[in-house]
Amino acid sequence: MSTLNHVDDYPEIPVSLASTRTILKTGAWRSVRPVLAERSAPCSAACPAGVGIPAYLQDIKEGRPKEAFAALTSRNPFPRITGRVCPHFCEQACNLEEKTGRDSVSIRSIERWLGDETAHLPHPVPSRETGKQVAVVGSGPAGLAAAFYLRRSGHEVTVFDRRDLPGGMLRYGIPDYRLPTVIVDEELARLEAMGIEFRNGVALGSDLTLDDLEATYAAVFVATGAGRERTVGIEGESLLEPGLAFLEATGRGEVALPGDRCAVIGGGNTAMDVARVLRRLGAEVTVLYRRTVTEMPAIREEYEHAVADGVTFKWLTLPRAVKKQDGKLIVTVEDMWLGEPDESGRRRPMPTGVSRELRFHGVFSATGETADLTPFPDRLMSSDGWLSLAENGATTDPLVYAGGDLATGPATVIEAIVAGRRAARAIDHQLGLDRLWPEDNPIEVVGSAEVNPTYVPRHDRTADHVAEWAGPFAEESVTMTDAEVLYEIERCLSCGHCNACGTCFVFCPDGVITWEDGPVIDYEFCKGCGICVAECPGHAMILVNEREVSHV
Amino acid sequence: MSERLLLTGNHAAAYGAMLARAEVISAYPITPQTMIVELLSELTASGRLAAKFITVESEHSAMAACVGASAAGARAYTATSGQGLALMHEMLHWAVGARLPIVLTNVSRAMAPGWSIWSDQTDIISQRDVGWMMLFAESVQEAQDFIIWMYRVAEQVFLPGMVAMDAFILSHTAEPIIVHDQDAVDAYLPGFEPLYDLDPTQPRAYGGLVNRDHYFELRYKIFESMERAGRLLIEAGDEFAEILGRRYSPVEGYMLDDAEIVIVSAGAMTSNVRQADKDLRDRGMKAGLMRLVAFRPFPVAEVRRLLAGRRKVAVLDRNMSPGHSGVFAQEIRSALAGQSGAPPVYGYVVGLGGRDVRVETVTEVVDDLMARDVPELALFVDVKGLPIGPVRPDSTINRLGPLEVAR
Amino acid sequence: MRWAVPEAEFMDPGTLGCQGCGGTLSMRLVLKELGDDAIAVLPACCWSIIDGPWPVHALNIPVFHTAFETAAVVATGIKAAKQIKGKDTTVVAWAGDGGTFDIGLQALSGAAERNEDIVFICYDNEAYMNTGIQRSSATPLGTWTTTTPDERPEPRPKKDIMGIMAAHRIPYAATATVAYPDDLSRKVRTALAAKGGMRFLHLLSACPPGWKMAADDAIEAMRRAVQTNVFPLYEVRDGREYKITHWPEAEVDVADYFSLQGRFAPLLADDALLNLVRNNVRERWWFLVERHQQSLRKASSPDGAHLH
Repeated sequence: MSTLNHVDDYPEIPVSLASTRTILKTGAWRSVRPVLAERSAPCSAACPAGVGIPAYLQDIKEGRPKEAFAALTSRNPFPRITGRVCPHFCEQACNLEEKTGRDSVSIRSIERWLGDETAHLPHPVPSRETGKQVAVVGSGPAGLAAAFYLRRSGHEVTVFDRRDLPGGMLRYGIPDYRLPTVIVDEELARLEAMGIEFRNGVALGSDLTLDDLEATYAAVFVATGAGRERTVGIEGESLLEPGLAFLEATGRGEVALPGDRCAVIGGGNTAMDVARVLRRLGAEVTVLYRRTVTEMPAIREEYEHAVADGVTFKWLTLPRAVKKQDGKLIVTVEDMWLGEPDESGRRRPMPTGVSRELRFHGVFSATGETADLTPFPDRLMSSDGWLSLAENGATTDPLVYAGGDLATGPATVIEAIVAGRRAARAIDHQLGLDRLWPEDNPIEVVGSAEVNPTYVPRHDRTADHVAEWAGPFAEESVTMTDAEVLYEIERCLSCGHCNACGTCFVFCPDGVITWEDGPVIDYEFCKGCGICVAECPGHAMILVNEREVSHV
Repeated sequence: MSERLLLTGNHAAAYGAMLARAEVISAYPITPQTMIVELLSELTASGRLAAKFITVESEHSAMAACVGASAAGARAYTATSGQGLALMHEMLHWAVGARLPIVLTNVSRAMAPGWSIWSDQTDIISQRDVGWMMLFAESVQEAQDFIIWMYRVAEQVFLPGMVAMDAFILSHTAEPIIVHDQDAVDAYLPGFEPLYDLDPTQPRAYGGLVNRDHYFELRYKIFESMERAGRLLIEAGDEFAEILGRRYSPVEGYMLDDAEIVIVSAGAMTSNVRQADKDLRDRGMKAGLMRLVAFRPFPVAEVRRLLAGRRKVAVLDRNMSPGHSGVFAQEIRSALAGQSGAPPVYGYVVGLGGRDVRVETVTEVVDDLMARDVPELALFVDVKGLPIGPVRPDSTINRLGPLEVAR
Repeated sequence: MRWAVPEAEFMDPGTLGCQGCGGTLSMRLVLKELGDDAIAVLPACCWSIIDGPWPVHALNIPVFHTAFETAAVVATGIKAAKQIKGKDTTVVAWAGDGGTFDIGLQALSGAAERNEDIVFICYDNEAYMNTGIQRSSATPLGTWTTTTPDERPEPRPKKDIMGIMAAHRIPYAATATVAYPDDLSRKVRTALAAKGGMRFLHLLSACPPGWKMAADDAIEAMRRAVQTNVFPLYEVRDGREYKITHWPEAEVDVADYFSLQGRFAPLLADDALLNLVRNNVRERWWFLVERHQQSLRKASSPDGAHLH
C-alpha cells in the first residue's frame, strides 16, 4: 500500500486503497486455535480390527471404492465376509445413536456393499519377496487372515487344512443363507492369486506334526479352531446329534432331517444356526434354553432371524435326560428360575423341581465348542492344560504362533481375523520385518458429547434387504444399492475424521478457511472464535490453547 | 436553437436542469418549490429529459438519492426550500465528504415556526459551513443559467453547489427568458466525468472509517478545492458569455466606479437596490451596488477590491444569525478586516419572512446609513413601531394573556 | 463438500467483526450468491467498522458508506444511476436493525412503497451493538441491554418488520439465518431472480458480546431461534403469499433458545413474562402456519392465478 506521508499522497475522497488482508492480521486476536485432529471414531474403536470406518466411508462417498477397499483390507482382508456375518460391534458404539437416539449408521451393510463392489479386485502382490516360508495351519478366518498379511509381507505362505476344501468355519460352520459358499470360494481364489499355497486334507497331529513344520518353515501359525462339540452332560447324551457336525454336513450338501419335530439345546450362535437350518429344511424347531432371551449369548440379530424363521423358544428349560421311545426322543426337562447373577454377570438358572417330558424326532446339542489341543506338544502347554499364549499369539516356542477360536473358544469371524493379523505381525517382528507394520498409536476416541448431529440428514437407517425366498440355503438378504449406500453414508458424523463435509468452511464468519479438497485454516487471520470446532459434525477439529502451540 | 419563453423562476429552474441534462432527479415537494418538481416530472415522463425521476418520501431522502446517484456516476439534481433544506443538512455534508458535484435549487423561504412560505435567506445561510458552493440568483434567467454554470464548476472541483432563488419573488414570477440552445449548453457543459462511479470491477469502499491520522488531510483538500472553485467560477462565467451569451461572475458591481457608499445585496431584492441606486444618484448621492452572486466560495479578493476606499458600506441581509448579525454583513466585515482603506460596514437586517424590501426601504436604509457615524453589527429595518436601529437592550418577555373567546 | 454454498469468496479476511460475529458471516454467505456485479450500501452499523478502516476494506464489491437512515434511498439513487447508464448491477442496502427497524424505516418504507429495484438486507442482532448494546425496536420483550437494564428489561415485543414489509406488497420478503445456509442461499438467489422490484431479507445475526454468550455458540443460538419458532424461516411474495420454508421437527421450548444467552436473564427469571413470550411465539407461529395454508389453498384454487 502506498505511503500517506504528504497531503498530495491522498485521494480526493476516502476511497479504499487496499484489502484488509494487507494490514489487519486478525490472527493476533486469537487465544485458541482450531486444528484438524484425526482421532478415533467410537465405531473404529469398537471394531476388534480397528478399521478406520469414517475414512473408508469418505472414500466410498467420493467415488474411490479402490481406496476404500485398500483402507479396509489393511485391517480386515474380508469385507465381503464380515459385511455379511459380523455382529457389528461398530454400530453398537455409533455416536449418532448415543447422541440423538436415532438408529446407528448401517456400517456393516456399507462394508458388505464395498466387499461386493470390489470383489473383482485382486489383492496386491508383494513388491518384494522375503524368501522366507511360513506355514499356516487351519484355513478358517484366523488362518486366512494370517496368510493374507504374511503373504502381503512377502513371505511364501502355505496353508494346511485337514478338510478336503479350505475355509474352515466360513465354509462349514456358517450356513449358506448367511454366507454363500461361492463367496468363500471367490475369496480363496483371490488369496491363491496372491501366491498363497493351499494344502488340503492334511491334518496336524496325524498327517504332520509341529516339529515337521518347524523343520521346514521359518514360522508356523496354528488356527485350527474350536471344533469339538461340548457334551451336554445328561443321561442319553449319545442320542444327541452334535450341532457343528450337522452344520458341516448340510454345508457339504448332505442334508438329513431326523424328522418333523426337532429340538436344539443351547442359546449360542451355533444353536441359532442349527435351529434355523432345521427350520429352513422344514422342521418344527424348538430351542431349549435354561435361561431367558436376556441372558442368551447368541447375537441378538441371529436370535431375531430365528424367531422370524418360526423357531420357537422354550426359556428356563433345562434338559435333564433323553431317551428313545417309539422312534421318538423323549426329553425330560426341568423348569428353572433365575437367581442371583453368576460370575458371567448373567442371572443364574435355579432348578424349580418341576419336570416335564417333551417329544421330538431329533435333538441337537449346541451348548458350546472347544479346541482340540492334541497336536500341541506338552512343552507348549501351561500348567492348567491350555496352550500358553501371549496376546499376540506367541507360544513359548518362538517359531510357533496360535490364535482364533483355538485360543479363545468360539468367537466371531472378526475376532479370528484380528488374531490372524496380530500373529502375522508378531511373526514379521520375530523375523525382523517391523518396518512393514506401522505402529498403532492409541488415539483418543471422540465422545458423543463432542459431536454435532445437526447437519446429518434425519432420514431413517437403511440396511440390507430381505431376499425373496429362493430355497433354504439361498442367501437371505440382498446387498444395499449404490444409492442407499451413499444415503446411509450421509448419516455418518465421521467422528474424529475430516471427511471434507465443508461445515467449517461454510460457517467460518471470517472466511479464513480456504478449501483445497479439505479445510486449510489461515492462522494469519483466524480469530479463534471456535465456531468451526463447535459445528464440525464429527469433532474432527479441536481448539488448542495458543500458549501450547510451539512457534517454530 | 435558443428560444425566448415567458417562464416563472421555478419553471426556469426545471429548464436549467433539463438543459444541464440531469440524469437522476430526486425531489420532495415543498411550497414554493413544487412547480420545479412538477415540471421535471412532466419533462422526464414525456421523454424530453432522459432522466430518472425518484419521488422520494422526504428531502433527506431526496439528497440521499442524489448522493447515491452521483456516487454511481450520474449527474444528479434536486430542488427544495426552507424546512426541506434543513432536513437535508446531514446529507449535504455527505455530498461534500464524498466529493459529489450535485446541484440543488433552493427556493429560499423562511424557517418555521411559525409556518412561513415567504422569501427569506435564513434557510440557505444556515448551510453556510457545509462545503457547498452557493449562488444567489437575481432573475428568472439566472434561476435557469446558474444551474448550468454551477454544474460546470462543481464537476471540475467535485464539490456540490446550490442555487438560491427567492420564494415567490422569483419562483412564481414570470419573466421572459432565453432558453438556451441544447447544443450550445452541451458545448459549455460536457458530460459528467466522475471521480468514481462504484464500478464493480473496482471493488473499493467509499467513505469508510477514517482515523485521526488521515481525516484532516481529506478535509484540507476540500478547502483547497473550494478555493479553486473561486477561480473557476470566474473562468466559467466568462465562458458562459462566449458560448451562451451571458457573462456571470461571483460579484457584480453597479454604478460602483465613483460610488462613495455601497449597498451590498444578494438575490432578487437586488433589483430594487438597483432602482434605489438610480433614485439616490438622482438625489446627487454617489451610491453604488455590490451584488454578491457567489456566497461560497466567498469572493474575498473581489469584495476587497470593490469596497476598498469607499466611505460607507451598507449590507442588506434577508437573514440573521441571532446573537450576532446578518450573515452577509459578517462575511463582508471579515473579508475587509485588516485591509488598508477598508470602509466601515453597517449591517441591515431586512425583509424577513417575505416582508417587502421596496425601493423606498433601500433609500430609507441609505438615509439611516448617512446619519450614522458608528457602524452597527445589525440594524433592523421595518420592525413595527421601531425606527431603524439595533435591537433594544431592555426588552421584556410578553407572557400569554387570557384567550379571547368570541361569544 | 456437503454444502451447496459456493466456494468463491467475496470477502477478504482481516475484517473487524468480533469473534463469532453473525453479521460478518451473513455478509460472507450472502456475497457468495450475489456475485461480483453488485454494490453494497452500508449505513451506520457494525459493518461500517467491520469492512475495515480507511484506507483498507474487505469486500470484493464496491461499498458505499452512507448515513444511518439512508441505506434504502442511497441504494435507490445508485440503482437509478446504473440504470440510466444501462447497467444491470445489483444494488444491495445492507443495514443493521437500527438502520432498518428504527432510523432507517422511513427511507425503507419509501423505497418499498415505490418498489425500487434494490435488495434490502437487514442483519438483525436485535440491539445497537456497535455503540455498546442499546435497545432498538428489534430488541425482544424481556431482554437486557445497556438501556434496558435488568431492573427494567425491554418492555415491548420486537417490531414485526416482516409484517411491515409485507404490508408494502413488495415482490419478495424473507427471513433467513446463516444457521441454515442452504435456505439462506436459496433466498438470496430467489431475491436476485425477483429483480425489478424491492426485495427484503431479514437475517437474524448472532452477536456474541451483545447476546452475552460464547463466540462458538453463535450458530447454535441462531439455530435454536429457528427450532423454537422464535425466528421462523419463511418468505412472503407480493405481501400475501406466505410460505414457511423450514418446519421445525418438534416443538422445542423457547427457553432452549433463551438459556443460551445472558441477555435473556431477566426473562428467564420471570415466569409470567416467559409464559407471555412463549404464547406470543406460539401465536405468531400459528399465524404464519395459517397464512401458509391459506396461500396453498389459493394457489390450488381456480382463482389462484389472479393472486398476482
